Amino acid sequence: MATKMPARERRTPIQDSSDGVSRRRFIEAAGAIGAAAALSPFIMPRRASAAAKTLKILQWNHFVPGYDKWFDGTYVKEWGAKNDTEVIVDHVGIPALATRAAAEVSAQQGHDLFMFLSPPPAYEEQVIDHREIYDECIRKHGKPVDLAVRSTFNPKTKKYFAFSDSYVPDPVNYRKDLWDDVGMTPSTWDDIRVGGRKIKEKHNIPVGVGLSAELDTAMAVRALLFSFGGSEQDEQGNIVLNSKNTLEAVKFARALYQEAMTPQVMAWDASSNNRAMLAGQVSLALNAISITREGENKNIPGTDNIWLAKAAAGPVRRIGLEHVMDCYVIWKFAANIEGAKKFLIDYIDNFHTGFMASEFYNFPCFAATVPDLQQQIAKDSKARPADKYKVLGDVLDWATNVGYPGYANAAIDEIFNTWVINTMFAKAASGADTPENAIKEAEAQCKRIVQKWRAKGLV
Amino acid sequence: MATVETRALRKRFDGVAAVDGIDLPVREGEFLVLLGPSGCGKTTLLRMIAGLETPSSGDVLIDGRVVTPLPPRERNMAMVFQSYALYPHLTVADNIAFPLKAHGMRGAEAAERVQRAAAMFSIERLLKRKPRQLSGGERQRVALARAVVREPVVFLLDEPLSNLDAQLRSAARDELQQFQRRLGTTTIYVTHDQIEAMGLGDRIAVLDHGRIHHLGTPREIYADPADTFVATFIGSPPMNLVETDDIITGFRPEQFMPIEALPADEPVRRFTLDVGRVEYLGADRLVYGTLAPPLPPSRVIARLPAGPELPVSTGERHEFAVRERDLRHFDRASGRRVN
Amino acid sequence: MRAPAARHGPTLLDDERWLGRLLLAPAILYIVLLVGFPFAIGLYYSVSDATVGTRTLHFVGLDNFRLALENATFWQSLRNAVVFTLVSQAFVVVLGKILAMALYRDFRGKWLVRFLILLPWVAPISLGSIGWLWIFDPVYSIINWMARGLGLLAPNAWPIWLGQPDLAMASVIMVNVWRLLPLATVIILGGLCSIPQDIHDAAAMDGAGFWRHLFLINIPLVMPIMLVALLFGIVFTFTDMIVIYVLTRGGPYDTTQVIASLAFFTGIQGGDLAGGAAIALFLFPVLVAVAILFLTLARRAEVT
Repeated sequence: MATKMPARERRTPIQDSSDGVSRRRFIEAAGAIGAAAALSPFIMPRRASAAAKTLKILQWNHFVPGYDKWFDGTYVKEWGAKNDTEVIVDHVGIPALATRAAAEVSAQQGHDLFMFLSPPPAYEEQVIDHREIYDECIRKHGKPVDLAVRSTFNPKTKKYFAFSDSYVPDPVNYRKDLWDDVGMTPSTWDDIRVGGRKIKEKHNIPVGVGLSAELDTAMAVRALLFSFGGSEQDEQGNIVLNSKNTLEAVKFARALYQEAMTPQVMAWDASSNNRAMLAGQVSLALNAISITREGENKNIPGTDNIWLAKAAAGPVRRIGLEHVMDCYVIWKFAANIEGAKKFLIDYIDNFHTGFMASEFYNFPCFAATVPDLQQQIAKDSKARPADKYKVLGDVLDWATNVGYPGYANAAIDEIFNTWVINTMFAKAASGADTPENAIKEAEAQCKRIVQKWRAKGLV
Repeated sequence: MATVETRALRKRFDGVAAVDGIDLPVREGEFLVLLGPSGCGKTTLLRMIAGLETPSSGDVLIDGRVVTPLPPRERNMAMVFQSYALYPHLTVADNIAFPLKAHGMRGAEAAERVQRAAAMFSIERLLKRKPRQLSGGERQRVALARAVVREPVVFLLDEPLSNLDAQLRSAARDELQQFQRRLGTTTIYVTHDQIEAMGLGDRIAVLDHGRIHHLGTPREIYADPADTFVATFIGSPPMNLVETDDIITGFRPEQFMPIEALPADEPVRRFTLDVGRVEYLGADRLVYGTLAPPLPPSRVIARLPAGPELPVSTGERHEFAVRERDLRHFDRASGRRVN
Repeated sequence: MRAPAARHGPTLLDDERWLGRLLLAPAILYIVLLVGFPFAIGLYYSVSDATVGTRTLHFVGLDNFRLALENATFWQSLRNAVVFTLVSQAFVVVLGKILAMALYRDFRGKWLVRFLILLPWVAPISLGSIGWLWIFDPVYSIINWMARGLGLLAPNAWPIWLGQPDLAMASVIMVNVWRLLPLATVIILGGLCSIPQDIHDAAAMDGAGFWRHLFLINIPLVMPIMLVALLFGIVFTFTDMIVIYVLTRGGPYDTTQVIASLAFFTGIQGGDLAGGAAIALFLFPVLVAVAILFLTLARRAEVT
């Protein structure tokens, strides 16, 4: 009944560098605030040409270009035609997301669907309760993964402040040739330390676990911390950072740094480990599958030697982080709330196609939507060996959310984004401070931040 | 005290010769004035002598020694600028002391010399002030004091009086001459003001288009100008010039008078004048007119005393004359004086 | 003094008082909208519990300031900001003076050199900084490759420019100097050009050599304008976070964190607008003090 109409798309023309989460990081942040604030009023009042309704979506430039091609070019067009809605998809670079969201809230207008790449608990007051969407998806597809709930639910207010369709695993990437050469596999953190040192001594190629103020480091050091039994908070959200387990983790990081790494990890941005790995300069890194995908897509020699492994096991458990958490929010001030809800529910129905379009980058939060996930990742057309990505099959056994073992809340988010844990590890690893002091200082920071957010009633 | 000499000195700016081959000998202790209209090259010549400008060719000699390649500081000259160029952030005392310090003199001796220089120009009470707190005349004195303090062998002065008002200027001229006489320092003085030049100079070099047209005493230059340029540049009103055939005849306005004013027994040259206008100037009258045929209708001026005798009125045709000995003759083609 | 009643509408422009107000209006509007308004909002936020996600604000007194002062990172950022600003400005002023003096002379191709020197100022800072990011890259650092090629690096030495605290600070300072040098050079060049040639000539005649001329005449005379350049530079540097945001994001472990970047990370990335505003407001009294100090000095040093 509805006429076909093109889904319009606008892209921020920013060059892709390499890493999934980190490419396009280098936009002037202040400029982004200004531009967002200045542009948003003009972007707003867009008349739908033929369709009855309009739905506006803002999300990142996906790491896998094919995904955006499918999403913008095929999926939203079909959905729009079916629902008599003109769908507009805007893309921005990662660093602009935070500033853009702040600008939309302060202007009280913007997109109907806004996708964050990490849980956005600070915006809880500004968004609708997304419970309804979860309920409908649960009715159709069964329970979502625990990771999704813990990233989008505030137990204090009992509100779902976002809806998570997918997450991105964060496995260990390692140079099979080098590790074979020393006769080891990086299965545990201890393996990484011992094997990493051997490789460094023999080949002068260090381990590349970031210790810098950036996202990949934030994920990596948390994986290390959690696997040693430490964490920022407990299940109830109390700060418990200063523990024996944390101390062990920090001491381990110091040893790992001093035995198997070089100061370059202190200088990294979020795409540095991609570059270093593909340049053959490091023997191991923690990242999404962006490194191997980039190598495959650009035919970079040596890519076949880069293999994936499950998150490394520590003395307490084997655990890793999600690398990216897709979190869609619907602003309370959105113009088309109902359309946005329907879009998300329909999107989950079609998630299998999305999973394939993302080249296994986005893993389903509703596992039932991709029943053949194991078979798919066991025989990839680009990877050599074809079952390179098979190791991600049991990712849910070892992947967790930021804020583990509790929920991702606003305080955890600020701790994450002000790099408190990164700094704690880096300071101790470099020897600039003792592990004990670094932990004490970090815990003070955490407590200060939590106290602030408690006072605001969100935690 | 020293002699200064330039030999075939040339300076080109973008292919145009600002100074075009000047040979200028300055005698020891002499007060020499470089006089010319603006753009004649007099300041460029002075700056080359100072060492502030590098000649395109030719040499500068001090006491017979070639100093062309030497920087200003090794020539032991002092210069006073039109703007005075006082250092605005330094007190008067520090301004005067600057040349001494630059040559490594400090302490009591320097202080004493500053005092002496200040005394010479009666500016002791100004020593603690900054230049911006001084009047034009005071600044000029400070500039002079700064120039003399080092006891240089040559003074170079670039229109030092032109920023003073008319009343101050004649007094300053007087002082300047006195102090130069007293010190006896060779002085080269640039000006475009012929009254200054006539009043101050032992000799005057009249410049135009980068060349010296006439070098001589003020009297020589006024009475016997070397060419028509000098004749018309010096004197106010300038020398009258009348062109006939190949010769230009020149005579000064004050030597051009009604025939009845001249003694009958002296050989004179007569001119019939159609009086156009008579200007009353207090002590003098200026009579503007055109020569009547058969001479070409040249415009000429006569300067007559203002008294009631010798009545000349507008519109009349009057017989004028000049003593033969007061006539000067110039070659029409070259403009040079012929005897 | 009243204008006659007939003077209305069209004659408004003839009234100097009104014309003056009219001409000043854009500047005042600009200051109010782009400086005054954000500043007022900043003040308001800093005493509230504002977050990126709240609309209704509650007054919390000076809590945010107290929290900032209790934060060890804040103090470190303040120290870093001071070091970053002072060291880079020292370089900017000295190098700017040297460059300005070089550009003051006449030589062939002067316009090209002037153009090249101005280039960093014209280029967008984010682009320029990304270029520097590559220059300092741990793997691909051009500096290291060149130094190695020239045999300046020991076989095992491979400086990680942005990864070692001292080098990282040196690197961000270097980029900031590169960035602000053109402005300082142009300002100082303007100052140099305003010194009459006669003064230089007089100094030459008086026998001053290069150094005496430089320190007794040249520098004292451009001092007022150099102070203005310095004031600009300090304000620019102290309040700026772009260079640091692009190059180090405050790392390694907060050793290059400055007030402005900390405010951004806390307020926008971290979501605590009020906390960010409070941190950012610490810039204000410092900058006011600096501005008053320099304008006083500049006035004192002013010469005719």
